[in-house]
Amino acid sequence: MPAEIIEILHTLGSGAVWLALLGGVLGGLFVGAMPGLTATMGVALLVPFTFSMPIMPALALLIGVYSGAIYGGTITAVLVRTPGTPASAATLIDGYPLTQRGEGGRALAIAAAAALSGGTIGTLLLILLSPQISAFALRFGAPEYCALALCGLTMIVAISADNPLNGAIAAVGGLILATVGIDPISGYPRFIFGAVSLMEGVSFIPALIGLFAVSEALRVADSDAAKMTTAAQPHGWFVRQADAIRCSWTAIKSAFIGTFVGAMPGAGCDIAAFLGYSEAKRSAAPADRFGEGEIKGIAAPEAAKTAASSGAMIPLLSLGVPGDSVTAVMIGAFIIHGLQPGPLMFTEQAGLVYAIFALVLLSHVLVFGFGSIGARLFLRLVAIDRRFLAPIILLLSMVGAYAMRSNMVDVWLALGFGAVGYAMHRHGFPVAPVILALILGPMAEENFRRALVISDGSPAIFFERPIAATLLALAVLSAIGTAWRRRRMIHGLI
Amino acid sequence: MTSGSRLPVSSTIQRRGLTALPRRDKIAVAWVLLLLGVLGWMRYTRDDATGVFPQRGLTLICPYSPGGGTDLFCRGLARAAEPLLGRGVTVNNITGGGGGVGFSAGLLARPDGHTLTAVTFELLSLPPQGLVPFAYDDFELLLRVNMDPSAVTVRADFPASTLQEFVAKAREREGKLSIGTSGPASVWHLAAARLARSAGFKARLVPYGGAAPAVTALVGGHIDAVTVGPGEVMSHVKSGQLKILAIMSEQRLEGWPTIPTTRESGVDVVFGTWRGVAVPRGVPVAVLARLRKVLGEAARSPEFISFAESTGLNLALADGDTFKAAVEAQSIEVRALMDELGVMP
Repeated sequence: MPAEIIEILHTLGSGAVWLALLGGVLGGLFVGAMPGLTATMGVALLVPFTFSMPIMPALALLIGVYSGAIYGGTITAVLVRTPGTPASAATLIDGYPLTQRGEGGRALAIAAAAALSGGTIGTLLLILLSPQISAFALRFGAPEYCALALCGLTMIVAISADNPLNGAIAAVGGLILATVGIDPISGYPRFIFGAVSLMEGVSFIPALIGLFAVSEALRVADSDAAKMTTAAQPHGWFVRQADAIRCSWTAIKSAFIGTFVGAMPGAGCDIAAFLGYSEAKRSAAPADRFGEGEIKGIAAPEAAKTAASSGAMIPLLSLGVPGDSVTAVMIGAFIIHGLQPGPLMFTEQAGLVYAIFALVLLSHVLVFGFGSIGARLFLRLVAIDRRFLAPIILLLSMVGAYAMRSNMVDVWLALGFGAVGYAMHRHGFPVAPVILALILGPMAEENFRRALVISDGSPAIFFERPIAATLLALAVLSAIGTAWRRRRMIHGLI
Repeated sequence: MTSGSRLPVSSTIQRRGLTALPRRDKIAVAWVLLLLGVLGWMRYTRDDATGVFPQRGLTLICPYSPGGGTDLFCRGLARAAEPLLGRGVTVNNITGGGGGVGFSAGLLARPDGHTLTAVTFELLSLPPQGLVPFAYDDFELLLRVNMDPSAVTVRADFPASTLQEFVAKAREREGKLSIGTSGPASVWHLAAARLARSAGFKARLVPYGGAAPAVTALVGGHIDAVTVGPGEVMSHVKSGQLKILAIMSEQRLEGWPTIPTTRESGVDVVFGTWRGVAVPRGVPVAVLARLRKVLGEAARSPEFISFAESTGLNLALADGDTFKAAVEAQSIEVRALMDELGVMP
């Protein structure tokens, strides 16, 4: 152990490492806040630049960008209803109503604190339980992933605010859209009408940009001129004690969920955030007002997704298997520097592994610092007249949609989704279920069919395996439970 | 704010036209016109042909996302080619359609040699599926840089240590052996199908969304084998979780001298993916010759060779004609395999 501590101190004693980490976090916050520029893209674009850097600054830069981007998306999601990254879409559900009430500062403070606690818990689990968690994650095969996705789909009611039927309709729309593209098992094209750009399905980022950013711009265009700015109530640097106490259990629970989801090679931060949110809502106290600016609704997804970003490092470091799309890109950087992530790294380069742990933890602390200090600066966003702000966001969104694949089709898709999102909002349909369906639909379908290929068509594979069977039972119970609670609520029993 | 939501400038234009604008706005309009003029001029000089190649920086279209294997390949090659060309080479990731979008963009580029496209095995597998409206011979193939053969890989505890034993096990289990691949009709799917056909056994081919998830499923014990590139299982083989039984190459690979080829193991299969560089047809002959020379030198430079080593690229340089002949032969094989697999419409 002393050797590891020396290695950590050596790493952290280097100015280049600090510079790379600081630059990475700041750059990451920016990348995350820009619609269309996701954490995956930020890290992927930087990997070639790290070729010529020494190993530790290179890793510090990538880890910094990852942590920064995962938080950066929240700032714009909470303040201007434009999630910069898919993982922030869940925070928006309760974050934006708070901003509308002038409590944007409070929302950001809670988000930063929840992200720090999620990140810390996630990193501690990474340090202490990596081998155990990754062994568990490996037990997830096709049937388990299918069951997990179905479990997630039962959350649609949870994120549909006060109208579950409309939420379900929106989700079915999303599921239908998720079938567009090359069939994942047979390879036949489905509903692409000859468009090569649609072969990989309806791209997720244009859908996110369209449904939130573009539709918000359209809403501003036809709303009342008098409500163009929101007066932000003053808020201290850090989260209020009362808020922290109220959210603490939610944040801790979400952090554990997030770490496990993040550690699974087939699920990332976005799914973790939605699962964290729905668990918080499932276990809501009667006084909680989810969907109307409930602070637990901010703490839960923030803690979950930040923990998931640490969790994604678990299989990467202990098995050499990436935990999500960002760590998949990071593997390239490791290999370029002659490192093979995997079980051998823990025995042969333990010092390096511990230095990485330190970097991950530090990156979360830095994100918290910048997030808290920067909150006052970010809050000025809501003071800008929305007639000027909305077109700027629209412009950035279009650039973001294009930048993802350098493809104009994505810009048209984003505009189309914008019109759809606007119409949905006018008629009382929530848009979050569409996003959730686009994330979980392909995961459920692909793994369902893959499991049937493995079992040669026998559905028994879903019930013979304990994890899959448990998850399926949970999905059924959660659906029944929600329906029952809602019945009681309608009849005025709670 | 003045009356209502309408801004004063727009109403002025509506009422009296451009001449009645305040002085400040006239200056702004003049600036915009000037900048448009400059942009137009830049476009004009861009197209001005003085006959020297290259006139400006080159673009290398990478049809796959940043950070992936092909992207690393593109960036390494671009960096090696820049000093030889005396111009910058920018990698542009145009992704989607399993590579089809980037290939189309490369074909639509002006055939002046300034836009290169990184081409891969998928150029052969997309057209027979009817997914893209072009074929490999729409491209002028310049240079093949690397080839990655398929490696038949199983878990370390699988009860077979040679390919023959593996085939025997597969026959014994009567089609219940599962082989993970990187997706329907992908190169590693075809490799698995090709192996099963040549060795005479039946197996369940399980498509995953890429090679990495298939390898993960193998490590987790959800499938019995994978037929992906050696680089994709390298770390797990070194750590003792997986073992490679045979590699589908002509000769043993430099990085894996102890692993036999499939032919040595008695199964006549040579199959793998490759990466190269191409331009659309119609590029002037002199430019083609220059590009071939520069790219060849870049790929042979010590800088690129050490880059290839660190990223696990199995270099297999082939010039235009050899490349074309190999592609033609493989194209026929791929069509036949797809027909057999039923992934062709």
